[in-house]
Amino acid sequence: MKRILIIDDIKDRAAWLRASLELADFHVTGVLAWEQVDEHAIQAAAADVIIVDANAPGRDTLEQISLMSTTLEKPVVVLGGKKDQQSIQEAMRAGVSAYVAHTIQSEDLSEIIHVAAARFLEHKRLRDELKEARNELVERKTVDRAKGILMADHGYSEADAYKRMRSMAMSKGKRMAEIADAIILAKELSA
Amino acid sequence: MDKSKLEAVVASAQAPEQNSRREFMKQTGAVLGAAGIMSMVPMGTRSAAWAAGSDAPELKEVKVGFIPLTDCASVVIASLMKFDEKYGIKIVPSKEASWAAVRDKVVNGELHAAHILYGMVYGVHLGIGGNQKDMAVLMTIDNNGQGISLANQLKDKGVTDGPSLAKLIKAQPREYTFAHTFPTGTHAMWLYYWLANYGINPISEVKTITVPPPQMVANARVGSMDGFCVGEPWNARGIYDNVSFSVASSQDVWPDHPEKVLGATDEFVQKYPNTARALVMAMLDAAKFIDAESNRAKVAKIISAKSYVNAPVDVIEGRFLGNYEDGLGKKWHDPNHMKFFNDGKVPFPYLSDGMWFLTQHKRWGLLKDDPDYLGVAKQINKIELYKQAASQVKVAVPKDVMRSSKLIDGKVWDGKDPKQYAASFKVRA
Repeated sequence: MKRILIIDDIKDRAAWLRASLELADFHVTGVLAWEQVDEHAIQAAAADVIIVDANAPGRDTLEQISLMSTTLEKPVVVLGGKKDQQSIQEAMRAGVSAYVAHTIQSEDLSEIIHVAAARFLEHKRLRDELKEARNELVERKTVDRAKGILMADHGYSEADAYKRMRSMAMSKGKRMAEIADAIILAKELSA
Repeated sequence: MDKSKLEAVVASAQAPEQNSRREFMKQTGAVLGAAGIMSMVPMGTRSAAWAAGSDAPELKEVKVGFIPLTDCASVVIASLMKFDEKYGIKIVPSKEASWAAVRDKVVNGELHAAHILYGMVYGVHLGIGGNQKDMAVLMTIDNNGQGISLANQLKDKGVTDGPSLAKLIKAQPREYTFAHTFPTGTHAMWLYYWLANYGINPISEVKTITVPPPQMVANARVGSMDGFCVGEPWNARGIYDNVSFSVASSQDVWPDHPEKVLGATDEFVQKYPNTARALVMAMLDAAKFIDAESNRAKVAKIISAKSYVNAPVDVIEGRFLGNYEDGLGKKWHDPNHMKFFNDGKVPFPYLSDGMWFLTQHKRWGLLKDDPDYLGVAKQINKIELYKQAASQVKVAVPKDVMRSSKLIDGKVWDGKDPKQYAASFKVRA
């Protein structure tokens, strides 16, 4: 059974990854935030593999710890977000490690990567969806505000105000929210 | 010349939300093999035959990584001032979160080239701390402009310089911690060299940690270190935030030392020699532009934007113009401030510069044995390609591939006997 240390500042993602790996019968010996990472914490986790986010600034810290202490040279699985079979395979070929990966079977590593990569991806998708939903809400509010301005300043009905904005958006090749932003900005400038 | 264009660039750099968002989207990326060796693409064989005129770049878009530091300026300026387009390429600057990420992305081809620590390129080529990959230095990006700072709490203990620091460490022993930016990189080497100059062994007597440049001041603020070595503007920022003070600039350690380089893989240079040459030409134009004193304030303003260095322009501009203060009340003008051009002396990839990092890697135990110093430097530093690019943009090329420098301890480094030089230091790993 391979022992795994997860280093991630995003708590829910780390928890999720941990649960998934444990479900796949891996033993997660620790979850650390980057500010907790030092030689003692890495040593204490006694892991065979470390999983980190490719874009975490703290990766440089980990490099120094590994290089200065030969006993802490661990395979580090570096994950991003794109679900791309080819890049997983490339990562595999590369040894998925900045450090020496002799001690671990590539089949084990393969499974860890697959489980972890899938979870990272899932997490990113959900975040994106949430962000999109939030953006939509903001945009709808902006459009409503712009509509209000047109109705008050030009006496349009709500439907007319909307129609005018829509035809403007279509003829300029812009999104409704952008047109609405422009109307609000123009109003603020003239105020 | 270029005045109105520069104004426009200054204005647009202040509002780059859209660009940065796009960059960000690009960065949230792929599953990466750290230091991975990608599929072994057969090497191109067209590097030898080049004649001016037959030099259409093979790639139109060139992705160049950078870390938020003052000396990323030439990458930014080459792109924003459209020097790249003059030579038939489009530079796409890509802000990266760590040096490890820069290395991985250059090695696996996600980035074509990068603003990268000199010693790091050599470290990857020799496989220090990771997988080996043949690397290339296309040109030197800058000289000078890094610094060593100490945490303010040491000031209260009477420490103001190297000798008083050494005295404190001997008198009040505990675990003293110093940060740099990457184990094989330049800041580690400036820090180690400086500490050793005062009899402090950086490997056995103090603890060293690695922190990415933009996080340095924040980490120092929470008291996790006694000092650090980092590129500007982060030493200036430490003073500005009342967290640290300056004890040395990197030019105090080595006047006109080599710092960042334009780095790539050897594979990239072999496959896309014309693109590599065009990239060097655009970067030389940018270097020249930035070194014109009259452009510097504007350049400082441009790079201060969120999508680049993301620091107050005041913090960047002072030292960028050579106006130093140490946070202890001393102010001075340093003629050896960060330089990008200096009549073509900065960008030339001197072999002796590259070899110096190998001597220090050996000194501090990162290399177990003496490498073939000259052979390695000749492989990595693409002198011929650089000369072709320089001649195209009429930049003077130094006659000798070696140069002679005197460092802070009085030792002279001229590249002549690297093995003897590496072994000559009393304080070592």
